[in-house]
Amino acid sequence: MADVLIALALLLVAATATAAVAVRDPARQALVLSVLGLTLTLLFTVLQAPDVALSQLAVGSALTPLLILLSVRKARRRSLDQVRAEKEAEEGGT
Amino acid sequence: MNAWLVAAAVLMVAGLGPVLWCVATGPLRRRVAAQNTGTLLVCLVLLLLARGYARPPYTDVALVVALLGPVGTLVYARLLGPEMGDDPQQGPLTKAFAVLATAAVVLPLCVAEGPGRSLVKLLLIGAILVGGNVISSQALAGARPKEADDHG
Repeated sequence: MADVLIALALLLVAATATAAVAVRDPARQALVLSVLGLTLTLLFTVLQAPDVALSQLAVGSALTPLLILLSVRKARRRSLDQVRAEKEAEEGGT
Repeated sequence: MNAWLVAAAVLMVAGLGPVLWCVATGPLRRRVAAQNTGTLLVCLVLLLLARGYARPPYTDVALVVALLGPVGTLVYARLLGPEMGDDPQQGPLTKAFAVLATAAVVLPLCVAEGPGRSLVKLLLIGAILVGGNVISSQALAGARPKEADDHG
């Protein structure tokens, strides 16, 4: 009967992973990825591995989304700066 | 498979399914709120699992989720705040749901646990869950678009 729980957790992980692929915007993807980390934590706990669940929790639901969000922010700011610099160069040229 | 595990399975499907749907669709503020509710539900499921498997150390995972969840929501509110400024605000229902769900799971667990150190731990986790949810929903409601941020 404990297999039911394992099957449910596996289904949840599969559904969340599919959703993470289907969402296209990286900032929104980070949110789905953190939910994926949470469902993986559940799966590991159901499989009687709480130590793995703890490390998955730290990495999957906290660190990875934070890294993605920070790099998206930096990339956006850089492209904004580039656009601004090109505009200024055009204005200076004319 | 005892009653605690059945409750955990029901909460897993009936709770995390809608959370997954809300995280993947809709305006950004609702997505962040859904992620916050997801951490709460996972924490409650972990508590039920620890009781159902009769393994008290599993409660530690739930404690870590309860601590990390609101912190993550605060980070999202800070980093995604400019983007979700125009999204509709969450009603008071989300906060009420969080408090009710926590009480509905933690109180029966406390009754089954009996007095002792683990009872204190359970109550502590419940208090962290409710307090963290109140804090993070306030942070979500207060996230406004920032005008000065672009010039920094």
